[in-house]
Amino acid sequence: MNEAKQVEAIGKTSATDRDPNTSDKFSFWLAPGVIVNPFDIVQVEQVSHEGKSETFGLVTILEHRTDSPTHLANFISSDFGELAEEPNTPRQGTTVANANVLSNSKDIYMPVSSDKVVNFADEAGIQVALGIDTMKAADRIPAGLIMMSNGVAAVAYIDRRYVLGPESAHVNITGISGLATKTSYAMFLIQSILQKTPQEERDKIAVIILNVKHGDLLQIDQRPERGLSVEEMELWERLGLEPKPFDSDKVHYFLPRGRDGLPNCFYEPSPHNVYAYDLENTADKLDLLFAQVPDTYFTQESIISEIREGIKNREPDFRNVHSWDNLLNEKPLFDPQTHSAIREWRGIKGSSIGVFRRHIRRMIKTTQSGVFVDGLHAHEKVLSDEILKIRGGHVYVVDIARLYEHEQMLVFGDLLRTIYKLKAEPPEDRETSPPEKIIFFVDELNKYAPKGERTAPLTQNVLEIAERGRSLGVILVSAQQFMSAVHPRVTGNCATKIIGRSGSAEVMSTDYGFLDKEIKSNVTRLSKGELLLSHAVYRQPVKIRFPRPAYQQQEA
Amino acid sequence: MPNPLSPIVPILDLLGRELKILPATGGAVEDLQHPDQEEIEDVVMTRGDEQIAAFSETPEPDVSNIYKPTPPLFRQEKHLFRFFIDGSIRSYFLATGIEGTRSFPIELAQVGATVVRREDTGQVNVYSHKQKVLLLLPKQNQGISDTLWDKLRKIGKPDFLEIIDFTLPDALSDAKRDPRDKAGAKARSEMHKLEIELIESTDTARNEDTWLILDGSVKFVEEDIWESWKSRSSPHLIGVAKSFRKDPMFQFGQRPSQRKDITGILAGLPHAHRTAAFSADGGKIAFWYVRLREQKELDYPLMGVVKVEIPRPDLSPVPAELADLISRVLVAERNVTPYGLDHRWHCSLYPTHIAEQVIKNRFYSKDVLMGCIKWPKP
Repeated sequence: MNEAKQVEAIGKTSATDRDPNTSDKFSFWLAPGVIVNPFDIVQVEQVSHEGKSETFGLVTILEHRTDSPTHLANFISSDFGELAEEPNTPRQGTTVANANVLSNSKDIYMPVSSDKVVNFADEAGIQVALGIDTMKAADRIPAGLIMMSNGVAAVAYIDRRYVLGPESAHVNITGISGLATKTSYAMFLIQSILQKTPQEERDKIAVIILNVKHGDLLQIDQRPERGLSVEEMELWERLGLEPKPFDSDKVHYFLPRGRDGLPNCFYEPSPHNVYAYDLENTADKLDLLFAQVPDTYFTQESIISEIREGIKNREPDFRNVHSWDNLLNEKPLFDPQTHSAIREWRGIKGSSIGVFRRHIRRMIKTTQSGVFVDGLHAHEKVLSDEILKIRGGHVYVVDIARLYEHEQMLVFGDLLRTIYKLKAEPPEDRETSPPEKIIFFVDELNKYAPKGERTAPLTQNVLEIAERGRSLGVILVSAQQFMSAVHPRVTGNCATKIIGRSGSAEVMSTDYGFLDKEIKSNVTRLSKGELLLSHAVYRQPVKIRFPRPAYQQQEA
Repeated sequence: MPNPLSPIVPILDLLGRELKILPATGGAVEDLQHPDQEEIEDVVMTRGDEQIAAFSETPEPDVSNIYKPTPPLFRQEKHLFRFFIDGSIRSYFLATGIEGTRSFPIELAQVGATVVRREDTGQVNVYSHKQKVLLLLPKQNQGISDTLWDKLRKIGKPDFLEIIDFTLPDALSDAKRDPRDKAGAKARSEMHKLEIELIESTDTARNEDTWLILDGSVKFVEEDIWESWKSRSSPHLIGVAKSFRKDPMFQFGQRPSQRKDITGILAGLPHAHRTAAFSADGGKIAFWYVRLREQKELDYPLMGVVKVEIPRPDLSPVPAELADLISRVLVAERNVTPYGLDHRWHCSLYPTHIAEQVIKNRFYSKDVLMGCIKWPKP
């Protein structure tokens, strides 16, 4: 054992007057020739009440220090700037690694003493360091592979109880487009959750996925045409997961109706359903369409409220209002006989009603993708009705990639409200009880829950899910390019945060306050396929790799 | 962890009981080293060599041109110097002791010496190291009584701790009059003893391709080492002094015009050149000067020049090729320089600087020392 430790020994801890070791951090110098990188996990012997304990640390930053007091001294030592000069005796220097304390095997958080031998943690050590050893085997969800500089790898398990509840919930993924591979990771994690859940439990989990760009998520039940590389297959295997697409018989695609009545999508999966919105089924969701319309004096909200109640209660004013056309061109908002706008309706001035009509015309008539119809065709579904029928063990993909932004808002809000309603007040006509857990994945969360003083109705719905979804069993898996653009109460409620490569200005924002300064600088250097995993159980975020999804992805 | 200097406590207790003690301000005052200690030592060691009149080089140099070019010869071409030795000292004034009518300083010194070995890659490792803690007291008629001295000797002490009578004669301390200066000079003598021990530890490793550089003069107080060198054709070591006496006169003939002072000689010494080798100490030492740095890089003509000494136990002159080789290799040692860390950076040899740092970093801190300095209350 001693021999093995010697092989792994990489340096010694170093505490100085100016740079002491503390309960949270320690430094160590590296033996010559040793290669260590940020996010490597190391272990050091520590005192204990009985025997010894091990303190684990996460390397955050490495510094090379020499005995040169100034750069000028180095210039002079190179014969006053002679580039070809090679000194007989190289300048004395060493690389010093700074590490954040992850944990101690016996919960002792005394500062690590100076001159203690530092070793790379082995696989078991990494799991102790992260607290994975205290997780029940049944609660472990593989979230990626930690790969250290010495070739040791360990699975980063996250705790199911902190992902799906009851301890905490929700996952948020952030990072710049392309490099951060947010969607791929979300799909990998959903796969991992489902595969590591026993069959009877899996049948109680429904997944709703919003496809927001291209046809990325419209073939999740298809094997990739080009297959996976050997390395990717090995990665799946090391994580203890099977590289397979979602079960075809349990995946349901919902595509928006286009102008020609055909699905409006980048890829047409088979089978699929087409959804559309008529007035009757949209009247109670009109506020979602107006999510981005400024409404300082709440006049639009008043009009929407009157219309919603009028249609719902079949009030006399709305006797002739059965379609979008009717709403625009019939009473009560318009006088077809005089062909002029009405002057006042239920205390609301005609000018405000005019504004409402102009917005509705823009959104429903002039700049609509075809999803709004005056009457539904027999094969066209009402999305909320379908979602109310979802079953555990099934995956529902709702495509909104080709919709206009206000249409996307409507669909997203519609789904959110429906899920909330399904869990909070299950419909009486449901034959089976709703799924215990509903995982809801959405990309570009910043559109739906933007940071700002004004909390739009749609943002309010997202906040409801973020803050109360855990108790209802609604789990939000969300992603965006910039966490700083998302409402902080949403990201703050996510117990698991995944960070891909991000710009330095972005990571300096207060939303990343949970990361140390040194770790923030590393975030700007993450490469494609590398992510930072911050989980409620871990004391520090770790760097992980994950395999490419094992389903067919449409190239951009 | 117990204080490593705790064995000194019973000694100070005894002194406190038997003497009247006037403690130093703050418990201990570090003695500042004289900035040109090496130069002072050079003056003491080379007493009698104020006038240099003979060369110690074969073939004999031409008086009209005593400078020879010695372009740098780097380690990759000739790795001659593998060992570098340095000694260091840190001394503290602890108190004034009064016994009867006699008063005297009580000094404590840490002395150490280190040899570093340079590998083929250029990296250096500690080859051997020694250090001691010395309690320096006077025993003679101006110091501690015989009775108290006997009591002090009977106290058990670890090997690293010694009580030294600084009035015992030696070349360095004899040159001092002030008791504190005498104590400091005695500590330097003890440091040189450690250096000699470490030089001897490299005896079997040194040969014509593996030389040692000693920081300072090779003319040690201890004669034993010179005796040991007599059995060898060459001890394969040189002394390189950064500071040296500035008063010798060089007489290259009978006429006054053939007399030159050291400043004139060194001011004319071009970059990467050496002077001819001169004879000192009756031919037992050959020495010459080498300019490591161009004068335009420096403030003063004597900067950037080192004095090289090579022992000639058999009194033979040094072969010119050997002096050339040593000088060329030394010129190549000019970088890295401890600029900003040592005011003599311009003539420092970096491995020697490293050896000095090794010693200083192993000395006990003043905090550790102060943990043991507790004089009994009067």
